[in-house]
Amino acid sequence: MQAIKIDESFYKVKEVRRLTDETFSLRLPKKQFKFKAGQHISLGIQGDYQSREYSIYSGEQDEHLEVLVKEVKEGYFSPKLSHLKPGDLVEVNGPFGKFRIDEKKVADHKFVFIASGTGIAPFRSMVRTYPELDYQIIHGVRYGHEAYDKDEYAPERHVLCTTGDKSGQVHGRLTKYLKKTKFDKTTQFYLCGNSNMIFDALEVLKDKGFDRDQIHCEVYF
Amino acid sequence: MKYHLITLGCQMNLSDSERVSAVLERMGYERTDNEEEATLLGMLACSVRQKPIDKVYNKIAQWNRWKNNRNLITFVSGCILPADKEKFLKLFDLIFPMSELSQLPDMIRNYGVVNAASLKTPKPVMPKNEHIVDLWHIKPKYESTYEAFVPIQNGCDKFCTFCAVPYTRGREVSRPSTDILDEIRHLVNQGYKSITLLGQNVNSYGLDKHGEEVSFADLLRQVGEYGRVSGEEFWVYFTSPHPQDMGRDVIEVIAEYDCLAKQIHLPMQSGDEKVLIKMNRRHSMDKYQKIVTDIRELIPQATLFTDIIVGFTGEDEAAFQNTVAAMDEFKFNMAYIAMYSPRPGAASYRWDDEVAQDVKKDRFHRLSEVMKTHTRNYNEQLVGKTVRLLINGADRKTGFSTGLTEGKLNVRLDRKAPELMGTIVDVLITSAADFSLSGELVTQKEEVES
Repeated sequence: MQAIKIDESFYKVKEVRRLTDETFSLRLPKKQFKFKAGQHISLGIQGDYQSREYSIYSGEQDEHLEVLVKEVKEGYFSPKLSHLKPGDLVEVNGPFGKFRIDEKKVADHKFVFIASGTGIAPFRSMVRTYPELDYQIIHGVRYGHEAYDKDEYAPERHVLCTTGDKSGQVHGRLTKYLKKTKFDKTTQFYLCGNSNMIFDALEVLKDKGFDRDQIHCEVYF
Repeated sequence: MKYHLITLGCQMNLSDSERVSAVLERMGYERTDNEEEATLLGMLACSVRQKPIDKVYNKIAQWNRWKNNRNLITFVSGCILPADKEKFLKLFDLIFPMSELSQLPDMIRNYGVVNAASLKTPKPVMPKNEHIVDLWHIKPKYESTYEAFVPIQNGCDKFCTFCAVPYTRGREVSRPSTDILDEIRHLVNQGYKSITLLGQNVNSYGLDKHGEEVSFADLLRQVGEYGRVSGEEFWVYFTSPHPQDMGRDVIEVIAEYDCLAKQIHLPMQSGDEKVLIKMNRRHSMDKYQKIVTDIRELIPQATLFTDIIVGFTGEDEAAFQNTVAAMDEFKFNMAYIAMYSPRPGAASYRWDDEVAQDVKKDRFHRLSEVMKTHTRNYNEQLVGKTVRLLINGADRKTGFSTGLTEGKLNVRLDRKAPELMGTIVDVLITSAADFSLSGELVTQKEEVES
């Protein structure tokens, strides 16, 4: 009997982990998938002809491959992802992208991760991958319950900025915190999230005199 | 037994079409430009803009009408979005990715036999490129005797928000450098004068092989070394590079070797930092500026071409003015300017196309005028100088010969010289226009006298 060749880019969903009413993480088996923290994958659903890109939420050494998804109710793709059940097949392509930590800088540089919403995904991957990293996460969300997996970060390294309630350390947009905070001159800044947040944060950092080379951007669309 | 092939879109499709022709002619088919006398009708589709896709739909509708009176087989390949592919499956007899071109003879011979297994195979979301190497093993039937395109890479991993190519051509896959060099040697031995290395992101060449293949700079160096020992005069171009992976090492190599053409096509897309971010171009204007500075420093004689999109979502007047300023700063020899149009499959298709069409047109014309002043200035500086020119055609009105300089500037000669077609000659530039030059042939006698 001829052996059936299984397409290696198809993965069985392990778990859909609910984080809020709108946000969930999708856990897949790691298999032989290799990536660098900060990279993204292209995700498709078996039988559907569309795909979307998602930053990897898990660390390089984690036993599963995980992405963070915010469900856009009127969207085409994310509602379908949210209805997946363990055992359903998804197609993974990648990894892609150069939004990565410069490993030569890990030992002697400070890293500031600036995220809006699910833009925190690549930073969780980086923090889990490099435990020795001297980092700070500045996370802008509307409400405090959107601080996804906040307990995984040391409290002194995580600054939550909330615009819709006062549960964060900063009430207001994350640029408010950026403007009033002093950063080391050689800090490496990583920005991830919607383009408006990136534009605004970029302006603040440029006004503070940081070189564009120190500022790395990954836009979510 | 005749076939008719329509190729839409970029040079990559043109290169692929040469391999399609080779496969069909090996089967015994003869090419015809008259589609009405062909029994096999094919198209290589392009999904970069809507217009070529509309053309595919119009053409297949016509071909399917002809089927009422004639026995025809139709096929489509090339850059096809998954959504279009679903529709093409019902319209064309055969549809296949270029990586399966070697199986086309079997598909044609077995046409009409339903393959139950293939019906059950889940359709991949992204095209698979594992077998693209099979395509590159097919010896192409070159369209020209002096100009050739050599694919070095297929696919794209960059995910620019305005572009659907990652969804039509799949992941970046590099062709083995030994195969590339073999093809170049063969072409040079056959007398080819202009060779263009093709890929969606040529300077990402080799990165997918994780150290088991040379880098793009090293590939160019190997080509340059071959050029040096061959003793032949030929020009090697590449298109398109992405600024993200364009290093100084590539520019240094181009500067070092005569056969590496001193012409660089470096897509900018926008001169505005925020628009670049929205386009997901993954490089800053500082980075682009540094590359151009390196080019001007190491290869001052190089011409610089670019691609620009005006009217992209989020481009306000201030952002457009940054593109105008960049045009003034970099003084491109040619900019292929396009008005933004949302393409199904690209991420930006899901956004509002918020810049009005008349504003796009206005920006297109204003930017074109800015470009003209720079191209004219550059061209006027060439008047009175002698340049090397590859004769490649004839002017439609006068019949006078035309050609391209090493920097890909168009020159019209003052006479008909069909005997020089495909050769590189000396030409004295006598006058300049916005986008072209005129010149007269420098004969060997004149050279001796001078």
